[in-house]
This record gives sequence, structure tokens and C-alpha cells, in this order.
Amino acid sequence: MNQSTRRPGEPPDPQEQELDEEIRALRAEIQTHKNRKRILSTALLSTPTIQSHLQKPTTLRTLKEDLSPLATAAGNHSVTNHHRIAFGATAFPFKDPSPSAPDENLLGVRIDVCARNGRFAKPYYVLLKRERAHGEKGKRFRVYRHTIPTFISVGRLEGVYLSFPSSEGESDEEEGPLKVLKAGARKQDLRGFVRELRREVVAWHVRTDAVESLREKLGLGMEDGESAQSPVNSLGIVSLEATAIEARYVRMEYEDGRVGRFKLSNSGIVERAIFMNDHGRDKKVENAMVGQGGRVETLFDRLKSVST
Amino acid sequence: MADPKSVRAPTTASLPNNLRIPSTTPSLTKTLGRLSRTALIELALYWLDDRNVTSFPPYLQPEDEANNDDEETLPYPAAETIAEVRIEYENFQERKGGKREVLERILEGDWRHGITLRQLAMADLRYMDDHPAGLRWTAMEISRIDMKAKKATDTQTEDWSSNIPRMQAATFVRALQHEIAPLVKAHYHLSRSLKFPLTFLRIFIVDSPYQTPRQTPEIFADATRIIYVAFPDSCPFLYTSITTAPAAKTGSTGSIANDPRTLQRLVRDAIPKALSRPQERYTLNPTALTAKNLPTLLALRGPGRTTAANGAFSIFADAALEGSPLDPRPSNTVSAEEHMRNGHEASAPLAEEDKENISNEPQKPGRPSKKRQLGSKPDTIKLSPNSKKRRLVAASRFGTTGSSTTPAPLDRLDIRLLDNAASTNDGDADSAPTSAAVSLTFTGSDVIGGIRRLAELGVVDPERIPSWMTGEEAASMMFVRGGRRLRSEV
Repeated sequence: MNQSTRRPGEPPDPQEQELDEEIRALRAEIQTHKNRKRILSTALLSTPTIQSHLQKPTTLRTLKEDLSPLATAAGNHSVTNHHRIAFGATAFPFKDPSPSAPDENLLGVRIDVCARNGRFAKPYYVLLKRERAHGEKGKRFRVYRHTIPTFISVGRLEGVYLSFPSSEGESDEEEGPLKVLKAGARKQDLRGFVRELRREVVAWHVRTDAVESLREKLGLGMEDGESAQSPVNSLGIVSLEATAIEARYVRMEYEDGRVGRFKLSNSGIVERAIFMNDHGRDKKVENAMVGQGGRVETLFDRLKSVST
Repeated sequence: MADPKSVRAPTTASLPNNLRIPSTTPSLTKTLGRLSRTALIELALYWLDDRNVTSFPPYLQPEDEANNDDEETLPYPAAETIAEVRIEYENFQERKGGKREVLERILEGDWRHGITLRQLAMADLRYMDDHPAGLRWTAMEISRIDMKAKKATDTQTEDWSSNIPRMQAATFVRALQHEIAPLVKAHYHLSRSLKFPLTFLRIFIVDSPYQTPRQTPEIFADATRIIYVAFPDSCPFLYTSITTAPAAKTGSTGSIANDPRTLQRLVRDAIPKALSRPQERYTLNPTALTAKNLPTLLALRGPGRTTAANGAFSIFADAALEGSPLDPRPSNTVSAEEHMRNGHEASAPLAEEDKENISNEPQKPGRPSKKRQLGSKPDTIKLSPNSKKRRLVAASRFGTTGSSTTPAPLDRLDIRLLDNAASTNDGDADSAPTSAAVSLTFTGSDVIGGIRRLAELGVVDPERIPSWMTGEEAASMMFVRGGRRLRSEV
């Protein structure tokens, strides 16, 4: 902007810069309004009222023709979304673009998980290919690509639910349990596979959300440094965090140097706990952490009852 | 050097943390000199921190002022208290200057009595954090050996998490030490990376059984004697700086035991044993990925979504295809970038990794996404319909790989093509199938990104290139037959 008037080497005019800044801000604002307009218009089109109204034969024919591509797209999309929200696992076809693929048709499975803040996390995908097993007529599914975090063993799940008879001579490490089962005759259970997989992914989100909520209760992670005033933090916990991305183990530390570590189960229960003070393990606190059902959400209440 | 009075007896203990290397060693200057000025100052201040100062005491003025004469002539007079030294480095922090003065102050002033092995290790790891592309890393997969014991009946209560060995740092190092102690003397340093979700283990190996080796102090900074092992969080992989092919070097002098490569192999063999426990034994499998960049390894063999979905499938990994189920807009009317951005906002786990991607996302003009709405971007350069089509096809083959949004550059790609030459002309059946193996090696700063550029420019046909050229296999070493990767060969 205004580049033509400026000679090279000359420092930029402050007034010019100010104008540039203003223009940029205005453009950004226009963009957000445009986005909002698009969201609103498509949302409006996909509302049940409009959709049912359009489907009525009495509606003006001309109006229907004008609107139809947009309205049907919006309608279809909202139906898809409802399925994704309600069931959490949906299937879709995908074509493998690779020219050397023996079978370019893949089956995609999409898993949607709703996080604690009411938003949906990035969808997880599993793409399955169909392959003919050795000495069999029908085709069997095999996991081809997936976006599941690696700490969930897709290979082992596949070995149990989508068993694939291994050809002679080939021995894959992941198919170890498979060979023991003599899995050649076993039927594949795609529903079971997706169910277990989704359960694992959801469990991971539950664990991370639980740690997040505990941290929020403590006032940790916020930069304004109000952690001392937080009522729960009268316990004196200075840090609480998952030891790794998997969020299976959580470590907490008190300001007087006592440390604790507990294991979260898939359903949000403190399964095991270790608590150390200056003299060694503190069984009283440990029992409080796993006791009374062991729900992770009420962990601080139990800790408080012990400390007082 | 060793105190002549002390007893020198061979032991199996590890090299002590506080073994001092004389600060006059030239290679020490070189090693520390690789660090930037700010890194040096931060390191020095870290050493002087209240919690650490007992491990790394600076040189202070001796209590008895008997031989104070030559102190005066030195360029850096010894300070009297630690606080004084600290102030000195804080002053460095405030004013600008070269790193030379900081380095000289460390080596000739405050740590003139020597830099300990631990300090050297910390400096090395700091360098690693600042320069993630400084070393070649090989990814290895950790897998369990005794999986057969599992019964088929307990599938209901099966735990589906991966085989990630749980280790406690000190126990692991002790086990490793136990494995290699009779053969190699080593110094271990375990530390958490500041930038990446990684834990580094730095092992310095020396072939002397004595606590204070008599070798020249030069070897303490010898890069061939240092092994790095990185443990990424929550995934069954580890990265080592050891080259997998120990090609025998003919020029190496001395016995086999003196060869650092032999020592390196010993250490590599010991790592899975140290990770193992009774009833839970692990082994390391190669994963055909070697790259010079730690972020690449984290993307292709890391805990995240991109490990098993690359190339054309990276659109799934980056969630560039569809939005959240709460988005009322049909997904084909929204650009891929916007999908990815929305995904970033929504996803709570792995947020660190995602933020990194977002900041690395320059709004490049002239690289429109495949689903960009017309006129949604004012600064889009008008493209000819031909090149637009090429870009669309390239995007369908490469996904988001090799674009600016997902930086995972491979610096080297080795391919071995095992196609039968005879299979192309089916006409003469007499000719015996001559298997001619062709080796291809691509090198560059970003191989897959480069192939993508070529495809976008129309040099290679994106519709016909095999999937190993699009980064889909996520490996740097592959055997290929008929355009498909052979898994058993690697």
C-alpha cells in the first residue's frame, strides 16, 4: 500500500504506517463479518423450519428452484453433522490417489470426540483397505492409515477385532497374539474395533480434561498469579500436571516439598496413588486419594479432609 | 589431570559428574563456542543458581591471601562471593556485545579450574535445543518380545495402550550402567528438552576403566564418543544419534576396543536391555527413518496424529478436510487452512504442537489452497487455469505434506527399486527375468517439499508419481517394487 510514493531507503512515514494499520484492521473486520454472514446464512438454511418448509409441495416452485442447490447442501450437511454429534463414529468412502494401489477404494471411519469446553476436538480418522487373505474367497479389512495417537495401540486392536490370517513365512511382530489364536477362521468385527478404538480415544480426552479441570480448580496455568488466593489451593499444591501426553499418570507437588503421583483409569478414577513426605510414604493420604470411589473430580475434597 | 596421590584402580562406576576438564582445552572452547551469547549467559546463570551452585562452584578468591600476586595480573580477578559472579553475568545480559567476552569469562575467569563433565553435557544439550537440525537422528521402535503369553480369553479387560516402557530416570541409567560397565566407561546426563516433548540422554563413552582417565582432555569433546538418545513422550519410539550401519572404517587406528563405533554399538545393544524388566522384555526395531531434524522425527514417529497418516492422508492428520460437527457450513465451501485453524483452537490435547504449527504458518501469497473460495483473499496472485489444476492435483497427492503449514522436512531419501526389467516387455517369454536394482538418493533441505514444488510447476506429473515420492510412507529408506513399498525388506 502506498508503496509507489515511497522511495527506497527512506524511512516509512509514521502517518502512512498508521493508515496502513487502519486499513489492515478494517480488512480483518470485513473478513470476520463475511465469515459470520456465511455461518449465519448456512445455519439459517439448515434449520428444520426452513428445510421442512422447502420440502412442502405448496412452496412456490420458482423460489425452490432458486434455492435448491444451496438448501440441499446445507440440509445434507446438517444431517451429517447430526450423525456425527449423535453417534460419534461415522463412515465415509475415500479414494486412494496413489496410482500403484491395488484397490483404490478405502473405507474411512471418522471419530468425533466432544471435549470439556463444549467444542469438538479434531476428528480422528481410520482408513481401512480391503485385502484378500491367503486362501480365502472374501476380502478382509486391514488398517491402512490412521490418525490415532501412537500411545493407543491400533495394531493390537486390529489383531483382536480385525484379525487377518498371516501368510506363511511372514511373521510380523504386531501379529504375535494373532498367530496364537489361529485367527484365520475368526470373523472380523469392524463394529467392535471402532467401538473399542473410540472408547480409548474418549478415555484419553476424559483424562486430559480431568487434569485440566483439576488445574483450573487450583488456579494453575493462569498467568495472573492468583493461585495463592484460590480456596482449594489452601492445600498448598504448587504444581499438578500429567507426566506425559497420554495423561495416564499425574504428578502433584506441595509447596513444602511433598510429592504425589497417581494413576488415572479410563473412567476417571484414581486407581493407584503414591504420596511421599519427608519420612517416606504417607499411607493416610494415599488411602484418601484412592478411597471413596476414587473419582478424580473430588480428589481435592478428600485431600482436604485428610490434611485438616 | 589426575591427582598423583589418589589411588587409580579400575572400577565399574560411571564417570563422575564433577570430573573437571581443564578449561585450557581447545576443543572445550570450540564446543562452548557453538552456543549463542544468550545461551551462554543463561547457562552460566543456571549454574550459579542457588540450587545448582554446589554442583558447579565458580572459582572464588581463596581465603588465605598468601599468593595473591599473580591473581592481579590475570584478566579476570576472582570474585569473592557467588553473588558477585552472578551480578557479572546479569550485567552481560543487560548490555549488548559479542559472545567472545562471555566465553572467555567462563573459561578463563569463573570456571578457570575446569568445566565439569556435567556442565559440558548441559552445554551440548542446550545447543541441541537451539539447533534441532544439528544431528542425524534415527528413529527406532520399542516393541515387546514376550507378547505370546497373552491369553485370548482376556480380551474383555484388554488394555489397548501401546507398549511404552515405564521407566524411572535413575533406575534406567543404573540399569544401563550395569549393562555396559564392564566394557565401557561412561558419563550419563539425562535432561528434559526445553522446546520439544522429549527427554534427552547424553552418554559420553571412554574406553578406560579408571575414574580419572589418563587420555588427553581433548577426547571429552570428541563428538564420536558422545551418544544421544531421545525419548519422546508417550510413544513407543526412541531416537538415537547412532548411525545404524556400522560400516567398518579402514583408516581407524588402534584396536577394535578403541574404536568409538564399537563402543557405540555396545551402548545401543544395552538400551533395550536397560528398558526391560522381568516379565517385560523389549527390543529395538528399525523404522527406516533417519532425518536431520528433530521436529521431523516427532511428526513422523512421534506421539501425535501424523505418525500413521502422511502424504495424501495428511489432510486427515491435519483435519484439513472437514470441520467440527458444530460447523453449519458445508465442508467443501471452507478452505483447508480455516479447517486446520479451527481444529487448532478446539483441540485441547497436543496443544503445544499445534501452536507451533500455527506460528509457522506464513500467509504466503500465491499458494492458494485447493478449496479457496474465489476472492476470499485479496492478495492471491492470478494463476493460469493450467497451473491451478496442477496445484489441485498436487494437493490431492501430497495433502498438506511439504507445504508451509506442516514443517517436517526430510533431508535424505534413499530408495531401492527392485522391479524386474523383463516385466515391462511381456512379449518374449524366453528372456529370464533380470532383476536390476536401481538405487535412488534424493538429498536436499526438504526432499518431499521439493518434489511437491516440481509437481506444482509441471515438471513431474503429480497423478502418476508413486506414493513413496509424496512422503506417504514416512520413511527415509525404502525398498520399492511395482511402486509399492516392501515392508519385509527393511
